[in-house]
Amino acid sequence: MRRAAIVVLVVVLVLGGLFFLLRPDTPDGGPQDRTFDVSIKDGEMSPGEISVNQDDTVTLRVSTDESTELHVHGYDVEQEVEPGTEAEIDFEADLTGRFEIEAHESENELGVLQVRPR
Amino acid sequence: MLAGTRRVAAPTLGFSFVLANAAPALAHGFGPTYDIPIPLWLYLYGAAAAVVLAFVPLALYSRKTPDAAYRYPRFDLFGVPLLRRLLTSRLLVGGLRVLSVVLFFVVVISGLVGLQSGFNIAPTFVWITWWVGFSFFTALVGNLWPLVNPWSVLFDWAEGLARRLGFRDKLVLGESYPGTLGIWPAVGLYLVFVWFENVFSGSYVPRNIAFFALGYSLITLYAMAFFGKEAWLRHGEAFSVLFSLLGRFAPTEVRVKNPGVCRGCDGCEHGRCVNCYECFRRADPDERELNLRPPAVGLGLPEEALPGVAAFVILVLAGVTFDGLLETPLWLEIVRLTPVTQTLGVILLPLLFFGIYLGFVELSRIFGGGGEVGFRQFAAAFAFSLVPIAIAYQMAHYYTYLLIQGQMIISMISDPLGWGWNLFGTAGFDPSYGIVGASFVWYSQVALIVVGHVIAVYLAHSISLRLVRDPGRAFRSQLPMLVLMVLYTITSLWILAQPIVK
Repeated sequence: MRRAAIVVLVVVLVLGGLFFLLRPDTPDGGPQDRTFDVSIKDGEMSPGEISVNQDDTVTLRVSTDESTELHVHGYDVEQEVEPGTEAEIDFEADLTGRFEIEAHESENELGVLQVRPR
Repeated sequence: MLAGTRRVAAPTLGFSFVLANAAPALAHGFGPTYDIPIPLWLYLYGAAAAVVLAFVPLALYSRKTPDAAYRYPRFDLFGVPLLRRLLTSRLLVGGLRVLSVVLFFVVVISGLVGLQSGFNIAPTFVWITWWVGFSFFTALVGNLWPLVNPWSVLFDWAEGLARRLGFRDKLVLGESYPGTLGIWPAVGLYLVFVWFENVFSGSYVPRNIAFFALGYSLITLYAMAFFGKEAWLRHGEAFSVLFSLLGRFAPTEVRVKNPGVCRGCDGCEHGRCVNCYECFRRADPDERELNLRPPAVGLGLPEEALPGVAAFVILVLAGVTFDGLLETPLWLEIVRLTPVTQTLGVILLPLLFFGIYLGFVELSRIFGGGGEVGFRQFAAAFAFSLVPIAIAYQMAHYYTYLLIQGQMIISMISDPLGWGWNLFGTAGFDPSYGIVGASFVWYSQVALIVVGHVIAVYLAHSISLRLVRDPGRAFRSQLPMLVLMVLYTITSLWILAQPIVK
């Protein structure tokens, strides 16, 4: 019994200490405004991955080589984009995780939005 | 595509093998992942915890008696009259069997004639509800597969019909199953399934799912008729073998009080009849027990291990790892730099795992003083101890799919074919994405994997005590296994920490 208590205590101390040692500080500053210039060419988005922190306000300025309806999964943001004009998509990144950005008609994945937790 | 918004289009008919319209993101059976890779610090923390915790079972239980595997607390649910009446009622048992066959045909028909791109119940039901959901249920609650296995139910019905029509015993050709084959047929079929799930680029196309289901039905029904139903379910039906493996982890067990029923059964240790669904079925109702038990103890029981069991377990491990590995930059590099293709990978990885495993088994035997216990017996017994790691990894990898993509089944059940129906009024259901936040997902993934690892180490410990008997030698014999488990756990965590690539 005594031995079990000692083992459990040591393990809790080691793992607890390690957790606080390794855990990084939360990203400094509050939510930010993030703007990305995004171009769609041949069914692919560039940059292919948009990475933001939770609660950031995201603005995508989109230029495209063919007209389509852009759809950000999970956020259910939809926006028509046309060649020649720049479309702007704004939303607040309140859900964390990895979300597809797709062309609505073909359901083709163009890129991903990655929202990291705070 | 799974989570795509709903569109109604005219049904397309035609029976070409559809490959082209699978979107590249769906190269394997599931939709897009919603998880982001675990951060480096958490990966390191998980790895450190795996190493530290590996020694806890050793420190706590090293003086346990070798026969402890049998002595665990049990509670017979059939001992409660109300529960017994409920759980054995014809309405529940028969209802589940009918439901399972109905769902099987819904999947096949939707696959054949339903909408092929977009809204179709077949992919979601097969890959999310059944493959992920049912295997979680089996590991966490209990193994219902022997009851609801649609092929087994269909075979029973066909047999009953044949008997009523007077064709006595004509359905079974009664060839005896060659015992030396063990469960190798199940290993082969499961390998094909892993390939279909992870490599075949059209695994998401409803029609391909229907074709595979039909093809597998042919093999299964024919083999059941050829070798007898029980023999094939035990040795060849890949999912029966898989779910019975997962069911050993479950906190419930079926048990027959009078082990005389098991005589002649090659899956039961003589004198005890646990986890054997065929014997359970044959037994007199009063002889049956449905017990609650501590989780995972079923994996430490000394049942007779059939030839091929170790290979099957390693294939399951390699299969879940391969699935994760496919999304890592490392795999992309391997494919770019070597002649290894996806198909070659799905064969090579299990072989690599098997080789490593057998190497560690031999080390373990040498450390434990070798001697009286054979290599094969060692290899078969220790394989079970790896199952919790596979289950934990599978859950960490897929539980968000089940939570998020799994919601699609609510709308699809109203419109299985994608023809614009609304049978139950749920066709417009929109899944909610924000159920679990990314940091919760990270912590739970690491926790799951570490807990699975600790259970595995504990099992290896009791298995080595059982095999080697002498506590001192048992202690030494499990050190190589411990190293193997730490390595495998760290690999699992590493995969979860990798950036996701297509």
